[in-house]
Amino acid sequence: MIRIFTTLIVAGFMITATAEARPVSYPDGWTGMFQNNGDRNSAHIHYSPTAKTSIGYKYEHWRDKEYDLHAVQMNNLLKRWNKPNSQANIYLKSGLGVVDGKGGDFLDESDVAGFTGIATDWEDRRYFVSYENRYTYAGDLDDFYQQSARVGIAPYVGDYGDLHTWLMVEVEHNPEVDDNFTVTPLVRLFKDTHLVEAGMSNHGEVLFNYIYRY
Amino acid sequence: MKKFTLLSTIAVLSFANPAFAEMDKMDHATMDHSTHAEMVMDGKADGAVIAKPGDAHVSVNGLVCDFCARALEKTFGKRSEVKGIDVNLETKIVTVNFNDGQTLDNDTLTQIITDSGYNVEGIHRVE
Repeated sequence: MIRIFTTLIVAGFMITATAEARPVSYPDGWTGMFQNNGDRNSAHIHYSPTAKTSIGYKYEHWRDKEYDLHAVQMNNLLKRWNKPNSQANIYLKSGLGVVDGKGGDFLDESDVAGFTGIATDWEDRRYFVSYENRYTYAGDLDDFYQQSARVGIAPYVGDYGDLHTWLMVEVEHNPEVDDNFTVTPLVRLFKDTHLVEAGMSNHGEVLFNYIYRY
Repeated sequence: MKKFTLLSTIAVLSFANPAFAEMDKMDHATMDHSTHAEMVMDGKADGAVIAKPGDAHVSVNGLVCDFCARALEKTFGKRSEVKGIDVNLETKIVTVNFNDGQTLDNDTLTQIITDSGYNVEGIHRVE
C-alpha cells in the first residue's frame, strides 16, 4: 500500500511539476513508436501539444515477466542545449496505468503500475551518445530498475532529405537478472519522417524499432 | 538504485525551472546580423528552394538531425504565408519561401522556430 502511495505521489508530482514546461516534439505533432527487443514488445503513440511535452498511450508486453502494462505516458523536455553544431537534451519520461497478468503466477491479476526515468542525449551530425534509466513499479506483480546507454557514429554525413545511416551500440543493464548486461550492435536508418532500427544482441535476441512522425 | 532514480529525477526537475530554460532563448534584437549576409544564397538554396526578394534565410542553432528538423517543415507548413522551406544542415540555414505578397515578420519567424525547439541565431532577408 505504501509503495502504491509512493508511486502515485511521485508520478503525480512529476506531472504537476512539469506541466508548465514546453513540449517535446513539434507543436501539434503525433508520433508512433514501436519497439521490440529481447525483453518486450511495446507501442507508444503520443501527441505533443507544444514542443516540450508529449502525452500518449504506452503499451508494453513483457514476455518473460508474463504481464502487459498499459499506461498514460508523459514525456517532458526538461532542458535542451542548442549549439551551432550539436544538440543535447534531458527528458523526463513517466507513466501511470495498470499492469495486467497474462500467465504463470500472475494470470488474471492486475494492479496499479507506474514508471519514471530520465533520458539524456547529445549528438552532432557525426556522433551520438545517450543514456536512459527507468524505475518501474507494477503493484504486487513486480518492480524493477533498468538503464541503458548508446553510442553511435554516422559513416557518412547526409544532407536534408537523404537517407541517414547510423551505426550504434546499445548496452542495457538489468540488475535483477543474472546475466544483467545486454549488448546490442544496431543500425539506425531514417529518411523524412521514418526511422528504423535493427540489431541483434549478444544473447542472440533481435532488436527492431520503428518510429514515425506525422 | 531505486532511490537513486527518484533522487536524480527530483534533482533534474529542479533544473526544469522555466526561468532556467529561458536562458537558451536568444535575444534576436541584440544580435549582429552582418555576418549572415555572407551565408545568403540569392538563387537556389541547397538546390531545393529558389529564394526571391523578401524570403528569409534563418540561421538556426541545434539543427543537427534531419529527423528532428522535419519539425520545422511541419510547423511552417501550417502557415498560409509560407510556400515552402529548405533546410541546409551543413550551413544550419533555413530558407523560408513566402507566397506572393505575403511574409512573416522576424519576431514571428523567431517564435515559430523557438516553439519548434530550436534557437534563432539570425535572420537575413533576401534583397
